[in-house]
Amino acid sequence: MNRMPEPMVSVENLRKSYGDAEVVRGITFQIFRGEFFGLLGPNGAGKTTTIGMLTGLVEPTGGRILIGGHDFFLKPMQSKAKLGFVPQSFALYPTLCARDNLAFFARIYGLRKGRLKERIAAVLDVVGLRDHASQTVATFSHGMKRRLNIAVGLIHEPDILILDEPTVGVDTQSRNAILETLEGLNKSGVTLLYTTHYIEEAERLCNRVGILDQGKMIALDTPATLVRNLGTGIVRIEFNANPDDTLLRQIGHLGSFRVIDDRSRHLRLETDRTDRAVREFLDLMDKRSGMLKTLDIIEPNLETVFIHLTGRTLRD
Amino acid sequence: MLQQIIAITLKELKVVWLDREALLLLFAMPMFFILVMSFALQGVFEAGTKGRPVQVLVINQNGGPLAEQAIADLKRIEELMLIETAGGVSLSLEKAEALIRKGDYSLALAFGTGFSERILQDPRASQGEKATVYLISDPATNIQLLASVKGVIRSTIERRILLATMPQRMKQAFGNPASEIPLGLDPSNQNMGNQFERILEDPHKGAGDSSIVVFVNASPKGFSAGRRPTATEQNVPAYTIFGVFFIVLTLASSFLREKQDGTFQRILAAPLSKTALLIGKLLPYYLVNLIQIGLMFAVGVILFDMKPGYLPAVIVVSMALAAAANGLGLLVAALGKTEAQVNSLSVLFAITLAALGGMMVPAFIMPGFMKTLSLFTPHAWALAGYHDVIIRGLGLKEVLPETGVLLGFASLFFAGALWRFRFD
Repeated sequence: MNRMPEPMVSVENLRKSYGDAEVVRGITFQIFRGEFFGLLGPNGAGKTTTIGMLTGLVEPTGGRILIGGHDFFLKPMQSKAKLGFVPQSFALYPTLCARDNLAFFARIYGLRKGRLKERIAAVLDVVGLRDHASQTVATFSHGMKRRLNIAVGLIHEPDILILDEPTVGVDTQSRNAILETLEGLNKSGVTLLYTTHYIEEAERLCNRVGILDQGKMIALDTPATLVRNLGTGIVRIEFNANPDDTLLRQIGHLGSFRVIDDRSRHLRLETDRTDRAVREFLDLMDKRSGMLKTLDIIEPNLETVFIHLTGRTLRD
Repeated sequence: MLQQIIAITLKELKVVWLDREALLLLFAMPMFFILVMSFALQGVFEAGTKGRPVQVLVINQNGGPLAEQAIADLKRIEELMLIETAGGVSLSLEKAEALIRKGDYSLALAFGTGFSERILQDPRASQGEKATVYLISDPATNIQLLASVKGVIRSTIERRILLATMPQRMKQAFGNPASEIPLGLDPSNQNMGNQFERILEDPHKGAGDSSIVVFVNASPKGFSAGRRPTATEQNVPAYTIFGVFFIVLTLASSFLREKQDGTFQRILAAPLSKTALLIGKLLPYYLVNLIQIGLMFAVGVILFDMKPGYLPAVIVVSMALAAAANGLGLLVAALGKTEAQVNSLSVLFAITLAALGGMMVPAFIMPGFMKTLSLFTPHAWALAGYHDVIIRGLGLKEVLPETGVLLGFASLFFAGALWRFRFD
């Protein structure tokens, strides 16, 4: 008989309001030990507020959070000790060197002497900054700062590492380095909660994802299940001129399409079978030579799941 | 290019305009300085003038008619304002000393018992008994101002004495036989006129005395008497206090930076209370303040031979002062939302409070309402505390009131700061 996995984080009906505006509207989810959990959503979906409540920085209006079995609000210190936090901002002291930054945060978590040195060396290795330990952070590149930011979150060996959009503003090479680091951490047993609006990152890294939109959890499952159940292909079409009503009607009658966005010369169509849908559409366009400017096919993925659920893209 | 310049200018104007508080401070700050410094410096430019007479407490200890006449003469001097009563009762020496100790007045003039009799008696029968005038002043009073006021008082009294003793001297000069004329005045001498003038100037010189009136300079009882503050003793504490409050800018900027960089958030995500964070954050600035005070006093002692007084009392005042400065720093950190706001508020507090508190212009030469206002600054109380120890030679017990007020300021600043402070 399979044992039930142990939940590291349990969030129950979590709410947050600022005045009349409710930014997190009763979300519920669990993160299990060793899991790489992604919290996806466009800007303003409530990701950062949710992270704020999980780390004790934002006081919830209602609901409950359990970290490693501890009720966060009854035992905040024990709960916080189990968490590592990597905020979206660098949250480093630029005039100090990497080692001093790490030593400072290590002491905040109660690490001393030999253990402190040992952990500093370990996390510098994990993020590949050992050779830059004595370098002032102000001289670091964006990517190096992001890596050190992660190292600080790991310094006390937390049970769960919470990362709020840790790859924002970094180049592709540094992004890959960061993602590899996170994959390595997960393989070594660290539980991760990861927020992003980069769909490809979530697809690459996460065992399960929760999709937030306007403060609500609108989907929660493994990426594969979500794509299988909710994912549809998307065809983006751009015309050289505004499509007339006849053309739009004809497109609407193509059984394999669903028009989900219609803006002047742009059309966005949702389909279960992109190959068939594109073929039918191109047949239609044969009679209107020169009308089609571009055609962009997106195979079913988390982005199309989000579009299917909300009618918007994650980066809208 | 012009368009680009205009675009940048417009953008910058918009940014400045959007930070209304900083903009307001930008205008309010110079206005404050103009008001505060103009009122405060009125004392420097107008003290001892008709518009702003120097207040002098007057005690007539049965000094007789001549003392009364001298007082009447002094009353006619528009640059002086004589105060003879307190609460409707004639001033006693003890009461006047208490008022000076309290800091309400800086100078008292007392005519000793038998003042008139001793002046008017025959100098040959005086047997060394001299009329005495006491000038009692706060040792912390500005020495230049005090010297000029004392000069006016002294010359007025001496003129009155000259007039009062004139008949007697005339009698001496003309009415007595030549053999009885003192000073070896020879009536046959061609220079008799000149010698006569000399007698009128100082008739008692011939008797071997320097003067028939003695001006005794003293400090109120309880103050270490006889020593005037040096420039160092005046400036070291004043500019130390001035400098201590510059921690406000450093401290508030540091808090703002931590908020903006997100390091506060990261620290608060750790198992650490906000109280621990605040204490940890404030402690280094508190220590910096104490080191700052120690260094500045060391410069005074080593380079200028300043006597710091009773050290435990200096330390107690310094600790309370640093607490007040740190409290104000946290308050500015709580109120300032942008770098511009923090900078402006810090400079506004540092300079305005210093000017009001008597760091740039001694409070005793400020107009009455400014003196009252100065009591609402921690600076004035800190300076009073340091002056008590360094200049007046007082001890730990005597600086407790100033220390208490400074701690009160610190509590008030911290309470306001904690009420308004946000960590995000």
